[in-house]
Amino acid sequence: MKFDIPALKINQKFQTFIVLSIVLFGFKLFAPGSDSITYLLIDDLLVGLTVAAFIFYLMDWIHLKKINPLNLVMNIGIFTAVIFLLITFSNTILRGLATENNLYFPKTGFISNLVVFAYSFIILGSLSYIFLAFRELYSLKQKRDINTYFNTMVVFFILASYSTLLQQSSDLLYIKDTFFIISILLIIINSIKISWIAFIVKKEKKILLFLSIIIAILFVSNLVKNSGNNNANLLDQFSPALNQFFNIIGIYGAIYFSILFFTTLFHIPTAEAFDRKAQEVTSLQYFSKLITEVLDFDDLVKTITDIASKISNADAAWIAWQENGGLKSVGNNSIGFLDADLITSFVAENKNKYNLNETVFISMDKFQKKSQLGESFSNITVSPLRAHNELKGYLLTGKKNNFLFDDEDKNALDTFSDYASIAIENSRLFEESIIKERLEKELDVAREVQRKILPSKNPNYEGLSISTVFIPAFEVGGDYYDFFEIDKYTFGFVIADVSGKGISAAFIMAEVKGIFESLSKTIKTPKNILIKANEILQRTLDRKNFVSAAYGFIDLKNETILISRAGHCPIILLRDNSIENLRPSGIGLGLNFSDHFSNTLEEIKIDLKENDIIVLYTDGITEAKNKLLEDFGSDLFEKILIENCDKDADDISNKVIREVTLFSQNHPQHDDITLVILKWKQKLKIDGEKEWQNSTLQPKI
Amino acid sequence: MAEFNASTKDLGEVSVIYLQGYLDAHTAPSLENTFSNLIEKGKYCTVVNFTELAYISSAGLGVFMAFIEKMRENNGDIKLSSMSDKVYNIFDLLGFPLLYEIYKTEDEAVNKFIESKNLEK
Repeated sequence: MKFDIPALKINQKFQTFIVLSIVLFGFKLFAPGSDSITYLLIDDLLVGLTVAAFIFYLMDWIHLKKINPLNLVMNIGIFTAVIFLLITFSNTILRGLATENNLYFPKTGFISNLVVFAYSFIILGSLSYIFLAFRELYSLKQKRDINTYFNTMVVFFILASYSTLLQQSSDLLYIKDTFFIISILLIIINSIKISWIAFIVKKEKKILLFLSIIIAILFVSNLVKNSGNNNANLLDQFSPALNQFFNIIGIYGAIYFSILFFTTLFHIPTAEAFDRKAQEVTSLQYFSKLITEVLDFDDLVKTITDIASKISNADAAWIAWQENGGLKSVGNNSIGFLDADLITSFVAENKNKYNLNETVFISMDKFQKKSQLGESFSNITVSPLRAHNELKGYLLTGKKNNFLFDDEDKNALDTFSDYASIAIENSRLFEESIIKERLEKELDVAREVQRKILPSKNPNYEGLSISTVFIPAFEVGGDYYDFFEIDKYTFGFVIADVSGKGISAAFIMAEVKGIFESLSKTIKTPKNILIKANEILQRTLDRKNFVSAAYGFIDLKNETILISRAGHCPIILLRDNSIENLRPSGIGLGLNFSDHFSNTLEEIKIDLKENDIIVLYTDGITEAKNKLLEDFGSDLFEKILIENCDKDADDISNKVIREVTLFSQNHPQHDDITLVILKWKQKLKIDGEKEWQNSTLQPKI
Repeated sequence: MAEFNASTKDLGEVSVIYLQGYLDAHTAPSLENTFSNLIEKGKYCTVVNFTELAYISSAGLGVFMAFIEKMRENNGDIKLSSMSDKVYNIFDLLGFPLLYEIYKTEDEAVNKFIESKNLEK
């Protein structure tokens, strides 16, 4: 219904109302009272316009507020009560004034005129509000736009009101009655469907039941009182049309609130079920929204227990979360942690007794420690929380004072616990992905450290060709190799493998590099370097960590190689198409810090021959796996080395790496792969030691 | 993911830990728990049976290093037994035979404990 006149703002409407009121007052004061039709017409028109202006003003005002049906009903009640009081007073106090001039006293004297005017205006205002409130109640929760019905009714209200002008002539009285009866019929039709009643909660329905009967009685008594004393009916004398409008609204109120009373009465028994359904729907809506949002675990369990206790009408709810092999109470809602822990442990002890694949009810009567509970929980429910078929914990709710759970609660909790499991799983996955991301960042750092530690290029000696291959694993394995050009004739090399992976391995590797770098400058034998390195590492290495290493010196002048091994893979000497695994005894660095380490550490010296090949490697090669989880193995490794021993160092290492890559192509690389190949190419003259010393003493760099 | 399992058998003074599957950085904490539990109970004489162990990584080796000292301080030891050649080779390369007593069979290792206990008495 578009009563709205958008051009006028609220205060303009109010101003219109005020102006009309003043005009009306002036008219009442100065125009002589008369039964003439013209006088009554002008009078009624002015009153009608004032009412209309006030209604338009109120309409805007009401729309500014959020409408709550119970408030509207309450306001109608208040205004009805005001009218009730006014009419009661009009009959007692104002009657005294009326005796002066029995019939038309209101038209004499300013004071009494003012009193009557005020009286009528309060009723006018109240009626306007009640009318508007009915209109709001009517349009509440209506699915279709059925304002036409209401508008038709309003038209008949106006017609019925103004037809009172015709009552002077009794011939035309039937017109007034017809309009009046049609109005009542329309009121009945429009009052039958009160749909908003279903949407209020049980408590409000109870209040409404009480209110509606009182208001219905007030309306009826107002009607009776108003029509009962015609002589002193001030309203009728003020404006017959307004009086008729009053009667119509009174009938509307009586009918509407009677129907409302019975509708509410019939709704009360089902109110609880309706409330719960509404609660479930809102909870599930809220929860499905929650699933899509990622939440902190603590916030999430709190929300879950909050909703769980609502949908099951429980007094308390909490989650027993599986952690470190036990159950821990989290997200306690309306229950102390002591109580929650007691009941949780009771459930944990007896979980085999119950079929905990779905929500079960457990009576606390069997709970031996029931007396220790702070509050008298008598019945609980336990619902499993699962993710990927794995039990993550239980959702528990409890009722106090012997209240029982019913099947409705069970169904609600069954559905809800499924939602809860998904949400918890989501939050866990989110946390995992954060950890994974952080881990990857860490690994980036570790790779960077490793890349900077390893030599960027190989030393270049005439007569010694060097080839190195390093393939880092995703997790960074802790492999390390290095070369040291000690002096013109001495070349040092080291290969090491730090236990463990990732950033911790990378830092130990950095330390190991520092140690070997400095020791290589001062100590002249591999054995002593390793002994000293072990001593230094004692200060920093965790007991669980250790470093396997092999250290060697090649004496370019005397063509010898000096090797010590501390727990590392054997050093392969490839000579004359055969393999010799050099395994001088030695314990890994960091495994033992007593004399035992140095006592068991051996050092071997080998004279180099032409085309001797020294192979250093880490277990990333021999333990490279194929998809059947078989190792590449040292046999295959040695076979490839022998087959390619006549090639130069780079070709050999390329061949080895190609084979390892082919072998393990269907399996992710688990550990770093390091391969260092040194090939001795210096031709020796049979009796030419002196000659060699004299002729090729120059550094071959 | 490769599986790993460690179970303990109580032979009175001596406890035997049976290892199964793949012992690496991911499964090492499980074996650490097993050792911690033994120490809590005051069981310091331990034989580790490797018959069923398929693979051990450097992190797996670290577990033994972490507990050996504690065991020895309390007059006990960790003795290793029944390793496959492949597993033995890994221990051997690192020099474990110089640090640990490694036996061919579990019985040998257990008897060694009992002998040394008898000697003390």
